[in-house]
Amino acid sequence: MSSGHHALSFKVLISTAIALAVLTVITVAVRSIHIPSPFNIIVAISIAVVKAYLVVMYFMNLRNDSRFNLLSFVFSVLFLLILVGLTMLDTMFRVPIVPGF
Amino acid sequence: MSHNSSAVQSHVAHHFVDSEQQFDAAKFGMWIFLVTEILFFGGLFAAYIIYRAWYPDLYTMASTQLDTTMGAINTGVLIFSSLTMALSIWAAQHNDKKKTGIFLLVTIACAFAFMVIKYFEYTHKFHLGIFPGEAYTFTGIDHPKAHIFFSIYYMMTGLHGIHVIIGIGLIFWLWMKNNKGSFNSAYYTPIEIVGLYWHLVDIIWIFLFPLLYLID
Repeated sequence: MSSGHHALSFKVLISTAIALAVLTVITVAVRSIHIPSPFNIIVAISIAVVKAYLVVMYFMNLRNDSRFNLLSFVFSVLFLLILVGLTMLDTMFRVPIVPGF
Repeated sequence: MSHNSSAVQSHVAHHFVDSEQQFDAAKFGMWIFLVTEILFFGGLFAAYIIYRAWYPDLYTMASTQLDTTMGAINTGVLIFSSLTMALSIWAAQHNDKKKTGIFLLVTIACAFAFMVIKYFEYTHKFHLGIFPGEAYTFTGIDHPKAHIFFSIYYMMTGLHGIHVIIGIGLIFWLWMKNNKGSFNSAYYTPIEIVGLYWHLVDIIWIFLFPLLYLID
């Protein structure tokens, strides 16, 4: 098992923060060019995923961490997708929408 | 890669082989907790996604009531606080007690700034009558389900806000421990663990910001 004690690099941490700030500016700025739906949602979520990836890999340091921790995280995302996916298989094919909602 | 100088072994509990194993076990435990947190918030994200798929127009209309500037500033504040949180670990790894303390205090300050901005956003909405659920009295959005959007908004940002407040308490506890000289390059597990929690709170906001504020 690889060790969790990895010295953080000051330069890497600062670069990560700058990248996150730039991506935040991009995600706000991209609104003004009015990308047609659903591509605007895809762009916004893609940028958020990249940002989350940077935080997980560099701030939370999963790239140097135990594979167990990486596996736990990946599975949490997988199960979240199952939760959303299976629920939508129900809710998206009801005619009409569930009464009261 | 173990830290076997006997001077720094006092923190190792008797059921662990060494400091390294204790550190890895603590971190793994925290990751398991974070998994439950992701699925905890995941339920709310699922509600958000399903409701948006049902009523896409509602989200476009209701989102106009959210202040993008304040949301963007809060995103920046949280990213910066994640950086200072990581830097406090970096400082602890370099046995720099003073810098560790400063970075922890800056992180706390950012967390407070986030909550103050959130307070202004919430009170502005309350003033307009934008409350969750049945308390909703705002008439500015011409959609019969407008109150549901704001129920989702308040639940997601509210639960996130509670996490920020808990984070403030935890980081303050780290700061107190750091003042007593509890941390050094061989032992900084609590900062590492709270750091993981704090970064997850940041990640949740990274998704909440575009999903709630940047719809048009």
